[in-house]
Amino acid sequence: MIRTQGLRKVYRMGNVEVRALDGVDIEIGKGEFVGIMGPSGSGKSTLLHMLGLLDTPTGGDIFIDGTDVSRLTDYEKTMFRLYKLGYVFQDYALVPELTVMENVALPAMLRADRTEQQYKAATVDILSKIGLCDRRTHLQGELSGGQQQRVAVARAIVNKPDILFADEPCANLDTENSRMVLNLFKEINREMQQTIVMVSHEEWHKEYFDRIIRLRDGKIVNGEK
Amino acid sequence: MGKKELKVAFFLAWRSLVRGNRSSLFLNVLIISMVFTNMIFFPALMNGIGQDVTKTVVDYQISNILIEPKQGNAYITDLGTTLDLINGMPGVERATPQYTMGATLKFRGRVLGSTVYAIQPREEEYVSPLYMTMVGGSYLGENDKGEMIIGASVAGSPNVLEADEYSPSLGGVRVGDSVTVEYANGFTSDYRVKGIFSTGKFEVDDRVLTSWDDMQGVTGTAGDKASYITVKVKPGYSDQFVKDELLQYGVMDKVQTSSEVLDKSLGRNLASFSIIGFISLLVSLVIAVVVLFIVIMIKTLNNRRQIGILKAIGVDQTVIMNSYGFQVIILSATGILLGFVFTGLLVLYMTIYPMVTPTFSATPYVTFSDLATNGLILFIASVIAGYLPAWKVARENIQDVMRG
Repeated sequence: MIRTQGLRKVYRMGNVEVRALDGVDIEIGKGEFVGIMGPSGSGKSTLLHMLGLLDTPTGGDIFIDGTDVSRLTDYEKTMFRLYKLGYVFQDYALVPELTVMENVALPAMLRADRTEQQYKAATVDILSKIGLCDRRTHLQGELSGGQQQRVAVARAIVNKPDILFADEPCANLDTENSRMVLNLFKEINREMQQTIVMVSHEEWHKEYFDRIIRLRDGKIVNGEK
Repeated sequence: MGKKELKVAFFLAWRSLVRGNRSSLFLNVLIISMVFTNMIFFPALMNGIGQDVTKTVVDYQISNILIEPKQGNAYITDLGTTLDLINGMPGVERATPQYTMGATLKFRGRVLGSTVYAIQPREEEYVSPLYMTMVGGSYLGENDKGEMIIGASVAGSPNVLEADEYSPSLGGVRVGDSVTVEYANGFTSDYRVKGIFSTGKFEVDDRVLTSWDDMQGVTGTAGDKASYITVKVKPGYSDQFVKDELLQYGVMDKVQTSSEVLDKSLGRNLASFSIIGFISLLVSLVIAVVVLFIVIMIKTLNNRRQIGILKAIGVDQTVIMNSYGFQVIILSATGILLGFVFTGLLVLYMTIYPMVTPTFSATPYVTFSDLATNGLILFIASVIAGYLPAWKVARENIQDVMRG
């Protein structure tokens, strides 16, 4: 599903060169729930951003479903993200002026292969699944942190993406809400065979992952099952 | 960009405006409406003054066409033949002569230098609405002798001190009073004031009029010469057409349309009004552009992370740019519409209560073309000013904008 070869990302901070990723080779199969873990500054989020086409690598190749995504144009990358990828961010990243229903439906509205009826039905279906259908007319400011993150998860999977990327989705949540979100991920992973790549620094999250990619100083330290 | 993308861009824009900060929305619309009102109102007021001054000059002074003696001559001679020729031409409503002579008026110790205009009263009625402006007594009759009508400024008021008068007057002449007139040729006579007229325009109300027959007694001639002839053009004919015709028919005197006369006498004033109006328009536009640029710039900077998130979840940058574009379109369209209302109310108020001065009465003169042109200019300027910052932020790298 995902394969990288010699993936490198170098940032320049004045005269100093920072190697955020230093020759990362990984393979992630379809239906896997993979955790990317490591200490702060190890390159976890950078790797996720590269895989999710949110950033451009300095070197190396990324293949998703056989496509060399590093060769895509900006517009093609946008369309690739819309049709094939889903994202959950640490701070929920919902649009505050939109209701729960509208936030979830937003990525589906833009798809050429979805009618209004289809995306509305898909949105209601997902909101029912995550238990927020009764809150569909609420705005972001009227939801708890856990509810907001569940809405963000719903938005990420409304288009039934091939891969779901989550960048420390529990960082702003208490343990109870974190478990709720992780259980939701696990459920989606099992029931929908959804490939999930999630960055985390919480060791107790390990129990949810099928496999862990551990990074240190931009390099893979080891892979754990 | 497809229909679906435009729909989503509009959806995001509408939600942002409707569910965003209400007071900010209201203030933005108010600013645009005020800018639009300013763009229209001031030039319209200047235009209204120009129109009023022009109307006064045409109605009471020179009519549509002014015929003056050719160079080197003091008078138009062979008047009867000339008038018959002009009055027989197509497009001419009526031509009427005026004979002017400088004079000194004396009344109860007041002495006033003035010009006496001799007119053919019945003919003059076809050319000038002066006969409808009588506020005391009556208009001149064709065979009146020893009688004259005077403007309110000449008559003056007994209740106003000489030092407080806008212009010198006879200090309160009433209908029936006798005024001594000493003409420039030395002829002196007492005139009974038959009527007093008031147009509200100083340059008309400072006139003294007597009949053509009476002036013949003053000059001692048969009345076959005039200082100038004013020509009223029939509706549907242009001044230029009649002027060309007059020249073709062999009128040898100096023929000028009212706009040619006005260009010479008031051209600079009207040009100054135009320049002031243009500067006002430019300043208003700059204000609108800067305000909208700042508003959208702040909005996009505050929403940088959100823009990054939208890009990350697959919303194309053109959709994001267009959503801000739609916001500006809605803001400026609403502001312009509100500006229409404000302008309408101001025009209505100033039509009921015009700004009156001794030389003009100003009512804003607004045409649909002014409204449409200025509305379009403001709209285009606003859209560009709003699009620029959105375009700038939406094009940035996702990681850069997501960092906020």
